[in-house]
Amino acid sequence: MPRDASDLLHGTLDVLILKTLSWGAMHGYAVAEWIEHRGGGELVIVDAALYKALHRLEEGGAITSEWGLSDNNRRAKYYSLTARGRARLRTESETWKRYAHAVGRIIESS
Amino acid sequence: MRVPSGVRRAFHMPASTGQIARDLEEEVDFHMAMRAQSLARRGLTDDEAVAEAHRRFGDVQDLRDYCVSLEVPHMQRAQLRERMYSVLQDLRFALRQFRRSPGFAIIASVTLALGVGATTAIFSVVNGVILRPLPFSRPGQLVQLWGIDANGKHLHFADPTFDHLAAENHTLRAVAEYNNGGFSLSANGTVARVNASGVSKQFFDVLDVRPELGRSFAPEDQQKGAPMVAVISHGLWMRLFGGSAAAIGAIVKNGPTSVTIIGVLPAGSEFPAGTDAWYPREPFGEDASYTAHNWNVIGRVKDGLTPDAATHDVSMVLRRLHAALGEATWTFDGTAIPLRDQIVGKVKVLLLLILGASGVLLLIACANVANLLIARMAVRQSEIAVRVAIGAGRGRLAQQLLIETSLLATVGCVGGIVIAAAGTRALLVLRPTLIPRVGELSLDWRVLVFAIGVSAATAIALGLLAAWRGTRGDLRAALSQSQRTQGGGGASYRVRGSLVVLQLAMTVVLLIGAGLLGRSFARLMTIDPGFRTHGMVVAATAYDDSHDPDYLAKRSLYYQQLTERARAIRGVTSVGISDAPPFSNGSSNGTFLVLDNAGVKIAPNDMDALFRDKTHTGYATYRTASSGYFRAMGIPIVAGRVFDDGDRAGGPQAAVINAALAHKQWPNENAIGKVIDFGNIDGDMTPLTIVGVVGDTREEDLAADPAAAVYVDFDQRTGNSDEMYVIMAAADEAPVIAAARRSFTDVRSDVPMRFLTVEDIIGRSVESQRFMLLLVGVFGAVALLLATLGVYSVISYLVAQRGREISIRVALGASAPEIVGLVLKQGVVLSLVGAAIGGVAALAATRLLKNFLYQVSTTDPIAFASVLVVLCGVALLASYVPARRAAAFEPMDVLRGG
Repeated sequence: MPRDASDLLHGTLDVLILKTLSWGAMHGYAVAEWIEHRGGGELVIVDAALYKALHRLEEGGAITSEWGLSDNNRRAKYYSLTARGRARLRTESETWKRYAHAVGRIIESS
Repeated sequence: MRVPSGVRRAFHMPASTGQIARDLEEEVDFHMAMRAQSLARRGLTDDEAVAEAHRRFGDVQDLRDYCVSLEVPHMQRAQLRERMYSVLQDLRFALRQFRRSPGFAIIASVTLALGVGATTAIFSVVNGVILRPLPFSRPGQLVQLWGIDANGKHLHFADPTFDHLAAENHTLRAVAEYNNGGFSLSANGTVARVNASGVSKQFFDVLDVRPELGRSFAPEDQQKGAPMVAVISHGLWMRLFGGSAAAIGAIVKNGPTSVTIIGVLPAGSEFPAGTDAWYPREPFGEDASYTAHNWNVIGRVKDGLTPDAATHDVSMVLRRLHAALGEATWTFDGTAIPLRDQIVGKVKVLLLLILGASGVLLLIACANVANLLIARMAVRQSEIAVRVAIGAGRGRLAQQLLIETSLLATVGCVGGIVIAAAGTRALLVLRPTLIPRVGELSLDWRVLVFAIGVSAATAIALGLLAAWRGTRGDLRAALSQSQRTQGGGGASYRVRGSLVVLQLAMTVVLLIGAGLLGRSFARLMTIDPGFRTHGMVVAATAYDDSHDPDYLAKRSLYYQQLTERARAIRGVTSVGISDAPPFSNGSSNGTFLVLDNAGVKIAPNDMDALFRDKTHTGYATYRTASSGYFRAMGIPIVAGRVFDDGDRAGGPQAAVINAALAHKQWPNENAIGKVIDFGNIDGDMTPLTIVGVVGDTREEDLAADPAAAVYVDFDQRTGNSDEMYVIMAAADEAPVIAAARRSFTDVRSDVPMRFLTVEDIIGRSVESQRFMLLLVGVFGAVALLLATLGVYSVISYLVAQRGREISIRVALGASAPEIVGLVLKQGVVLSLVGAAIGGVAALAATRLLKNFLYQVSTTDPIAFASVLVVLCGVALLASYVPARRAAAFEPMDVLRGG
């Protein structure tokens, strides 16, 4: 299904979060660290935006949360992927790959 | 992987907006701390690290707003779901509970159904009669207009007075005269006596009613001498013409007069109630007298004006008229009364009182259910303690109990509506004529809302009571209590005892009310009306050919024939004729002139002037009677004679008066031989010589004093009523009615006949008293039954609770009578306290009955004493059964803990 490009950009953070959480339950800080680390420091996300996305995804039923204890024994909210989130990750990452490929081809061709 | 909803509920679901913000704050704090820690590890100072963490986080306030707006609807949905789920759970639990103890559920809901049913049935009457608007457009604009005389009494209108009012008022859009009379309609081979109303021009404009078929009156119908036309009711159209359009233009006979039917009014628009035909009054001409008060008047106030404004206006017009005319008019003032108040005014108090009584019954029913509920809560205390122990909050418990009582109330509500429907139908069968608009009764939405509202209030009150009893006190103690000592102990007995006392007190109020009404009714029924009431058959007929110059002779002949036929019927001992039925205020009443001798000639136009001389006037009801009338009625002759064959048409006219008039008019003289003129009633100016005095009769109202009466000879004067009544004294009524119906039709078949008995007529006059007595009596009986159950259950409870104590007493040698006495003492205490409170309350409450009682004081000691004795007796009886049970205790069984 073709989509509006701005929509795709807006959904980028969502896909990143879903992908990150596909490795297991994490608290928000861990998600931020993970994306930063995996992005090789290229992707720096404003934390507030990350949390907005987390809460939005939870509201949409793609992820769920639970209070737990962190490694240093503090109460932290752990997010994990739901079945719906997993399905969404599959379709969105497909779309993203095609999109990135298309954009890449255009830029390479010049 | 899906987290089970229970877990989600237990660990995650935010309970409030504050909770959402707090959760987010903790999450953010954690994030900042981790970030700062990581930055510090890379060499920043603590302060720098914290500052940098904050910078990198971005706008926290914005995030918080975003999350709250995102999650609040979600939270609310979740809470609602949670609530629904718990309600469903409680509902299932309640149903299980009731299945386990159906006895309680059945008794409680039947009791509630009785209370709700009684209240709803009465409310449906109140609704139909008082609350529902009249079936006319903008009914609030309709007013009944009255003149007011020098004594402040309401007066009908005289034609010229009405004309002034119609011309000079500024507040009425339309105003019309109408009267009540009868037609003897013959059409299609049937003869029927129907109620007919002569109406003036704007009558249908006032009501804003248009015919559903045909047309209304046109100006040419409303002229002097115009041929007679009529608009008929939907009901008469159906009865006479089977709803055929051929009715329009049909010519029917009203006696000898031909009447053309021009229209049919839609059903439900009959005014005055029960009218079947309306005809223009104008063809018959106007009466120029200012004192011929023959017309009812209704009006419609202009848009935006109130009946009060109309009253002010009417009062102004009539006072101005009186100022101009002086003694010539007796109308001093006037008033406009909203039509609905006019129609229902009298019964409003009666109905509200009965509604109040039914409300008391509902309270008594609730007290019974409350009592049962408390007993049940005591039994269920350990169950509730367990529920609290595993984490049910008081709120949740209250919800559970509220749902249980709601379930009971729902069943009670449905049952109540069924009872109310049946009860309303029963009221319709009783059909007290005293209740106007009774035909409009139905269970409409207002009644249903009322029933549901009453039931909901009951459910909430009972639920809160159960919650209070169920969750109070030390639950741990309840848990550790053994079954043997179950039940809330003394406190529970005190609450239940108080409920029973309240119940008894309210029952006393109802019973005393019923007792007073009963005694008043008995008094009323033993009043001697002054004439024979048993074995009296009345045939109502009409012989209306009053335009025939030979009318009087033909009429006399006709009734002579009827009288002979009546005499021939087996069982008929005497026969009389009158122009008004027994137990009515005569066909007319008015002022007569006292003349010096029978030779005086008076012209009709002189009468108004002569009336001003108060020493030569008197006031009496007027009735024409045949010579046999007094014997048939059993009215004794006090002095002189009654009419006889010597009193002939055209000869000197005789009058008979009653003792009340003789005493009032000629206190120290012999009334016989006095001469009066009553020509203003029927237009016959011939003087009347008094030839006899007869006994007084009470008319229309048993409780009222006998009114002064003048009887004139049926063979000598036409009177002014079309209707005539053949009165037959007979041993047995039913066969006489059957025989007379056959035999009278042979004389003339085109005259309609109705047969009544005097007992019916009198019965109708006391209908309001009987109606009220019946309802309050039934309520009182049901209340007594419920209160008896209450006493029985609370004393049984006491016996069960004090089983150990009683057993010990028995073991120590107490005799059975001693044990019975011990238990009975409790019953006595309850009933005495209840009786005392109820007695005092009744003293206040019965004052409301004052206007419904005849010769019985509202504090009648006999009614009070007998009710209190009956109540205490019944209460004792109700305690005696459990007392016997207590006396039969086997001590060892109880002590072992059975």
